[in-house]
Order: sequence, then structure tokens, then C-alpha cells
Amino acid sequence: MPSADKKKRGKSSRKKSELDSALDQVGDESAAAAMKEFQDLLAQAKSDTTELVRQNAKELEERLILLKKRKIDKEDFDFFIENQKRDLRVFIDSQPAQAQERAEKLTLHVLEIAVTKVVPILIAAI
Amino acid sequence: MNRNTPQNLVVRNAVLGAAALIITSCATVNKPGSDATIESLRNFELAFIDEFAVPHKRFNAAAFDAKVNQGNTMFQQAITNEKFTARRPVLIDLKAQFDADAAHLRSKASRGKVTPALASEMKKDVDKIYDHALGR
Repeated sequence: MPSADKKKRGKSSRKKSELDSALDQVGDESAAAAMKEFQDLLAQAKSDTTELVRQNAKELEERLILLKKRKIDKEDFDFFIENQKRDLRVFIDSQPAQAQERAEKLTLHVLEIAVTKVVPILIAAI
Repeated sequence: MNRNTPQNLVVRNAVLGAAALIITSCATVNKPGSDATIESLRNFELAFIDEFAVPHKRFNAAAFDAKVNQGNTMFQQAITNEKFTARRPVLIDLKAQFDADAAHLRSKASRGKVTPALASEMKKDVDKIYDHALGR
């Protein structure tokens, strides 16, 4: 099926980011599954049609890299996540009801996984 | 019918037209005025970060508090003077961002934990939230 092929090709040819490379090194099976979910959602968000969704994903990725490189600490990271959430809530509330769930999944949900699953692994790996 | 009726109608229409013109021009004049207020708050907040989010700079609590008080006054005046009622919640959101920035900066600067990345990311967030406030 052409669309399935396209999807498959798109996924496999996606260039690995600096963050992807760090997350791919997770050995534990359940943690690896969480990382995979996060990477997939982040990739979706980064190619979303909505500018704010893309911008949020890009900022999150940049800040995870800054955290990994110890250019900011966990307090700073949490502070920036709160800023992003504050900004996003207004955006999500302004979306039509049927679009809210998707917008939330690609923004607030991604931030939540980053804070609860990705950051502890990144910090442990530092 | 009163002989003056047509004249009265002309006068009334002229008065109504003038009133409409004044209201319209007030809105046109005040919107950029309101935008200018938001821009001046943005500049204040960016300068505040530039002044206090400096790695290895000794934390001056008195200077910091004086600047925060100045910011609080500016935001309060902006909220009170805002003619567009729909803009007041936006200004309140910007004030909440200023409060959060000041609290985080105080916590980090007083412990000497400011990094260049913290300063640049804070300024990025300030620019973003002000752009959104201005509908950009």
C-alpha cells in the first residue's frame, strides 16, 4: 500500500537527533518503551501543521539537550516546562473541542512524559 | 411639523457622526497605545533578566527587590489603565510570567546558580509570551 510504504519510509529515514541518540541508549525494557512513545510523539509534534505545536516540541527538545549537557539544571528545566504549560493552556482552550484532544496529546502530554519519564533517565545517565 | 425639524435632524446626524468618529479614532489611537505598553513591559522584563541573570555576579538583594517593585508598579498601572477590557487578562498573564521569572531568578541568582543558558532561555520565553500577547 503506497501510504503505508510512505509512512514506513518516512519513519525509517527520519534523521536521528542528538536527543534520539541519547534516548536510544536506554537498556531497561519498560523505560525503552516509554522513550519510544516519547520519541514518536515528539516527532509527530515537530512535523505538526500548527506552529505552536512545532515550536513547543522544538523548545522541549532543545531544553532536554541543555539539561543533558548540564547547561541548565533540573530546577531550570521544571521552570521552563511550567512556562510552556502556561502558554499552551491558553492555546488549547482556544481550539475547537474536537481538536483539543490531539493538541493536548502533542503538547501537554509530551511535556508530561518528558518530565516524568525522560528527565529521570537523562539525569541518571549524566 | 416644526419648521426646524430638518435642521435638527442635520445637527443630530452631524453630532452622531462626530461621536462615531471620535470613538473610532480613540480605538485606533488606543490600540497602538496598548501595544506600546506591552512592548515597554517586554523591554523592562528583558532588561531585568539582563541585569540579574548574569553568571558569577554577586546577588544584590536590595537592587533586585527595587527592580521587582518597579516592575510590579508598571504592571499594575498597565492593568489599571488598559482601555480594552479584553486585554486585561492578557496583562494579568504577563504579570504572572514576570512573578514566576522574578521568583526563579531570585532563587538561582541568590545561590550563584545562574548559567548563560538559563538567561538566554528565559529571554526566549519572555519574547514568546509577549509575541503571543500581541497576537503575533
